[in-house]
Amino acid sequence: MMRLLALLFVMTTPAWATTPQQILDSLVQEARQTQSGFTASVSRGEQFYRAKQTGGKEADSCASCHTDNPKAEGRHIKTHKAIEALAPSANKQRFTDPAQVEKWFRRNCREVLGRVCTPQEKADFTAYVLSVK
Amino acid sequence: MGVNIKNLSILIAAVALAGAWVGQGQADNEVVFPMPTGPLYVKECGSCHTAYAPGLLPARSWQKMMNELDNHFGEDASLDEPDRLAILRMLTDHAADNPNANMLMRRVAASIPRGAAPQRITETQLFRFQHDEVPAHIWKRAKIGSKANCGACHTRANEGRYPEREVRIPR
Repeated sequence: MMRLLALLFVMTTPAWATTPQQILDSLVQEARQTQSGFTASVSRGEQFYRAKQTGGKEADSCASCHTDNPKAEGRHIKTHKAIEALAPSANKQRFTDPAQVEKWFRRNCREVLGRVCTPQEKADFTAYVLSVK
Repeated sequence: MGVNIKNLSILIAAVALAGAWVGQGQADNEVVFPMPTGPLYVKECGSCHTAYAPGLLPARSWQKMMNELDNHFGEDASLDEPDRLAILRMLTDHAADNPNANMLMRRVAASIPRGAAPQRITETQLFRFQHDEVPAHIWKRAKIGSKANCGACHTRANEGRYPEREVRIPR
């Protein structure tokens, strides 16, 4: 019965129930578990977004695919397929589904940095992308 | 056998059936592949590249691919298990060698050696044959850039549509 109720809850909760700000807040909470008093920084996030990384594969920064401007349409570095804008100010679908956010951090951090991102990096990155108006 | 209502209606039915059959035949020549329904397929398989029509490869190719998603052409494309299984099902249900495959898909299936499970659509014999008139410099154009970028020229590739008359090669 509880499973049925849970399923019903999942089915009736619209995908847009999570806002980008809520996602940022929960990333900050997560970051505080390993670094107490942590606050997300837009400028650290921007640095991280643009930084040339080593240890990854073909893409060596977030900007490789998402371009220097998170509001612009990107392009996959290998397949050349268009990638929709990353900033919620340009694309309302972004940062509205925590599972999607986690999935892309997992994949893209491995691709660009050759490792998982720290909770602090994820919070800073998100703070920057959300700040782009 | 005189002309009466019964004979006439049999004739009309026969002509209608033949017409429907011929119509079906034309649809087969249209280079259109059935696509999985619902948002999951395009969401998970159409972010980094075109959501390829499953009918472009046989089921054995998709099975191999879906077992190696953590190293998917050098990238991590891993999925959680329920999504992975759901997508594998969509792929095999619409694969080139599925029992309900259309003529085009049967051609794809027949062109791939039995023992092979190709992973790159662009390396299949049929793809090469269909694209042999496209010179190398066209593939290098900024808006194309890669043979994996079907949607650059096949304007409705995301719907499984690849007819030649819908091709628009970007400048």
